[in-house]
Amino acid sequence: MFRSLNDKENQRSLINLTINGKLVTAPQGQTVWAAMALAGETSTRLSPVTLKARSAYCAMGVCFECMTEINGMPNQQACLFEVKEGMDIRFQEITEQTSLLNPSDSVSTLTENVGGNHD
Amino acid sequence: MTTHKSEVLVIGGGIQGSSTAYHLAKRGVSVRVLEKDTVSRHASGVNAGGVRLLGRNLAEVELSKTAMERWQQLDDELDADTGFRARSLINIAADETDMETLRSREQQMHELGYFHEVMLDQHELRERLPHVAQHCIGGVVSEQDGYAIPFHSTQAFRIAAERIGAIFCEGEQVQSIRKVGDSWLVATETQKYQAEHLVNCAGAWADLISVMIGDNVPMSYSAPMLMITARMPHFATPVVGAVSRPLSFKQFENGTVLIGGGAKGFADRANNTTRLDYSLLASGAHHAIEFFPIMKTACINRMWSGLEAYMPDNLPVIGKSIRADKAYHAFAFSAHGFQLGPVIGEVLADLITEGESRFDLEPFRVNRYERKVL
Amino acid sequence: MINNIETPSINNSYDIAIIGAGPAGMSAAITATKAGARVVVLDDKPRSGGQIYRNVDASPLAKPTVLGADYLKGSEITAAFKRCSAEHISSVNVWHAGDNGELLFSLEGETQRLTARQIIVATGAMERPFPIPGWHLPGVMSAGSAQVMLKSDGLVRDGAVFAGTGPLLYLIVAQYLRLGVKVKALVDTTPKQNYLSSMSEITGAMSAPRMLIKGLGLMNEIRKSDTKVYRFAEGLEIQGEEACKGLSFSISGSKHEIVTEHVFLHQGVIPNLNMTQALGLKHTWCEQQLCWTPETDNWGQSSQGVIAVAGDSSGIVGAESAAAMGRICALRQLVNIGLITEQQADHEAADDLRFMRKQQHFRRFIDRLYRPLDQHRKPTNDQTVVCRCEERTVKDLKQGFALGGREPNQLKSQTRCGMGPCQGRMCGHTVSELLAEWRNEPVADVGYYRLRSPMRLVTLQELSRFTNLTPVSTVDRASSGTSDSDVEANKEQELAQ
Ligand SMILES: Cc1cc2nc3c(=O)[nH]c(=O)nc-3n(C[C@H](O)[C@H](O)[C@H](O)COP(=O)(O)OP(=O)(O)OC[C@H]3O[C@@H](n4cnc5c(N)ncnc54)[C@H](O)[C@@H]3O)c2cc1C
Ligand SMILES: Cc1cc2nc3c(=O)[nH]c(=O)nc-3n(C[C@H](O)[C@H](O)[C@H](O)COP(=O)(O)OP(=O)(O)OC[C@H]3O[C@@H](n4cnc5c(N)ncnc54)[C@H](O)[C@@H]3O)c2cc1C
Ligand code: FES
Repeated sequence: MFRSLNDKENQRSLINLTINGKLVTAPQGQTVWAAMALAGETSTRLSPVTLKARSAYCAMGVCFECMTEINGMPNQQACLFEVKEGMDIRFQEITEQTSLLNPSDSVSTLTENVGGNHD
Repeated sequence: MTTHKSEVLVIGGGIQGSSTAYHLAKRGVSVRVLEKDTVSRHASGVNAGGVRLLGRNLAEVELSKTAMERWQQLDDELDADTGFRARSLINIAADETDMETLRSREQQMHELGYFHEVMLDQHELRERLPHVAQHCIGGVVSEQDGYAIPFHSTQAFRIAAERIGAIFCEGEQVQSIRKVGDSWLVATETQKYQAEHLVNCAGAWADLISVMIGDNVPMSYSAPMLMITARMPHFATPVVGAVSRPLSFKQFENGTVLIGGGAKGFADRANNTTRLDYSLLASGAHHAIEFFPIMKTACINRMWSGLEAYMPDNLPVIGKSIRADKAYHAFAFSAHGFQLGPVIGEVLADLITEGESRFDLEPFRVNRYERKVL
Repeated sequence: MINNIETPSINNSYDIAIIGAGPAGMSAAITATKAGARVVVLDDKPRSGGQIYRNVDASPLAKPTVLGADYLKGSEITAAFKRCSAEHISSVNVWHAGDNGELLFSLEGETQRLTARQIIVATGAMERPFPIPGWHLPGVMSAGSAQVMLKSDGLVRDGAVFAGTGPLLYLIVAQYLRLGVKVKALVDTTPKQNYLSSMSEITGAMSAPRMLIKGLGLMNEIRKSDTKVYRFAEGLEIQGEEACKGLSFSISGSKHEIVTEHVFLHQGVIPNLNMTQALGLKHTWCEQQLCWTPETDNWGQSSQGVIAVAGDSSGIVGAESAAAMGRICALRQLVNIGLITEQQADHEAADDLRFMRKQQHFRRFIDRLYRPLDQHRKPTNDQTVVCRCEERTVKDLKQGFALGGREPNQLKSQTRCGMGPCQGRMCGHTVSELLAEWRNEPVADVGYYRLRSPMRLVTLQELSRFTNLTPVSTVDRASSGTSDSDVEANKEQELAQ
């Protein structure tokens, strides 16, 4: 497990977010990846070809292993984003086999949530 | 220095040059391809891969139809994977004016005996493209159309050609061309080549070769731009275009979406490079989202462009040289030459071995812009 | 310094734009503003400092002193940077830099544009990829990531194994130990012969004795702890199917395996090439550092007139030299734009240039000593993943090579290796070196990927809103007039009439 030595944690204002549906608080300024790691949610995405779980590798924005779905927007690098109030972070499942062609496939998370969420 | 001899010399290792080499070799003709960089380094390796018969200029329909038949069996013929997928191509009508355009085109095509373009109403459109925006009211489809992987397709021709004896020389830039007696003498920086027939498939540089042969053409070149997204969930099976908007995209089997849109960057052919114009790409992005709201979730992974040759009428030059005997041209495909690749090689092989082609090449004459001397 | 300006600069123009607020970028800004230049510094972190001084002014740790004196020293330069008049635009990713002085960057999800007469690329380094079997499994991270997580979020991982070679590896282990974080083992892959071969450079290294002592000190610190240290390890392999279960390796022929769910790998740093490559700068293969570097003169001037490259993005130089290079680059560009004379530049750069020369000796020693093993750079196991994004293995690349992919771009088109979101950062060097080996030719002749902007994934939505620049019309750039084509709408319906 990852753990935090962040002694000032209590002084920094805390932010509420959900990671894979789990409610989590994180100090302001923390990266999304750190929040995930501390919550024990270290899997970031499915690899698109062999469909295996992957996790962050470099934590500095160069490997793109930490791409997750943030507020409905896929391919967001968790290690580069800071947590924001109300953020919804999800394990990314887009692979070569994902399809939204069937009329019953839900597209809601993918189209409706995206919009003004770039702030 | 030895002079390398062959019956035919092809200048340019794009899809046209490679296909020509393949068809000649198949007929037992000895052929050599000179390529200044590497085979499929330029337009033929980096284009959008659109294999389109839909909406072709009438002058090109026959060629394009034949090419389309070839594409359906090309993997078998070349014993390789070109990545071709017949996925149909739909051009979307955004309003009544578009529908009107489609109706008159349909009438015209039917009169000429062509029935491969079929109009779609709104319901049919939505059935084929469930994610299309509400405002789109119909369209037109061509069922045999689709896409292929450009690099793989061009390489497939090359490898098939090599297998039956064609020779490809990479890193060989043609610098001079001379006709001595019945032979063409071609020189690169370090080598000399000799052949009875000479074929100009030099893409965005073809006007320079053309001049060396003796034909002057008002060819220009440009850098059409493309962008590709990270993988998206599959949402569009057909290749997508629009009747009157700069929209064009296709989703590959691996989920990535290739977006065109007609915007052009800045071409620097002397240095083999292009520069992109990002604000023009922005308008392509805008149209993609407008027609397919799901594209809001798209992330662009890479943007690029390639060097392509154009003629003022956007029709290629295909046929015999006017000034010189036993010289042939195939260039200036004006951003839609990839689909024609399989048939162009055949046409040139016919011209060389039979002296004529069964296609009407009149609209593609190299001297069609020359002022008539009265 | 104006931090994170309220109204983002649109169509602003500057004398000098600097990308990266590490030691190189910050010192360049300080020097350039002193001479009166209008300077903007863009960086993707919320705070200045770069890799080494990350969060030096806002450490999440109660006692940042454990991070070492070298780290704390950073607050001097960040303070000077804050005082200078450069505009600092933080938390922005520069996704395009052009040799025409144009920068496009994402600020809060909107693309903004600015132009400058001169550009200094100071985007720093990244860790050298470590392509061994299983390095892509969850639980395996780079050792630099351990440091990043520690500096920016105060995050640590107990009981991890650190493996590889190089000063940064020992530094992070020492930092962990000082913080009382348990390290299960340090598996050092520095081969015995490196100690011998580097001795030829030792005299040079003695010119920088302070740094030499620092390095030795770290190792002593680790040895004195109860952390198990394995030396001269080779043949590293991560064990596990779905996730990391252990690390195996051999030492003089005998096999070892450590059971662990977390391994931090490191074998040095290399320039983060994507921006300098996408700018079309000339690059050369540096045999000493086993990486591609942009060609620059002593003043950091690249092959393109308006672009200079400073710091680790020009070739690995370390923090102090990065700062020196930043100053030198700035002086050169001040001459270019006519704010100072060449004599002034020569005079002011003299100390830094001398320092840089001296550092070169030490660098040679370090590079020789910590030269990563061939087998850890050029994977031979067919199953080893080379391209993490597209999941291409050594076997896939061999097949692509057999089909004619003899050069990185051809191999990429053939196999998709390097086509994913990281755009070759994780596989590019491996591919160059593997192809060189397979072709039996020098890496320099093999080359690297042709890269393009964007530097990161840009959302289609963001791009679609970037229309504030020129009137958005599909003006035809071909002199041939409008064209029908597959890349644009098929207007042939009309043409055909
Ligand atoms: C971005 C883009 C997207 C496109 N999308 C599509 C599409 O979706 N569908 C479609 O049908 N078409 C498309 N096209 C058009 C298509 O790619 C071209 O029409 C086609 O590839 C042309 O093939 P070519 O062999 O004539 O040219 P090229 O592929 O350019 O080959 C010409 C070769 O000649 C070589 N050469 C030039 N001068 C010399 C010399 N002096 N000596 C030796 N060698 C020389 C060049 O190096 C080059 O490799 C697109 C083009 C571009 C640029
Ligand atoms: C993970 C890691 C940890 C390191 N830790 C240490 C250490 O503890 N001690 C040590 O001596 N050396 C360390 N180094 C080596 C370090 O690179 C140099 O010592 C020094 O930081 C180099 O300074 P620089 O100014 O060249 O680059 P950097 O300090 O790396 O600064 C470059 C800056 O540019 C930013 N940047 C890059 N691309 C873009 C872009 N497209 N848009 C906007 N901003 C961008 C980066 O985020 C970064 O802030 C580390 C290197 C790495 C990779
Ligand atoms: S962990 Fe490598 S990019 Fe985020």
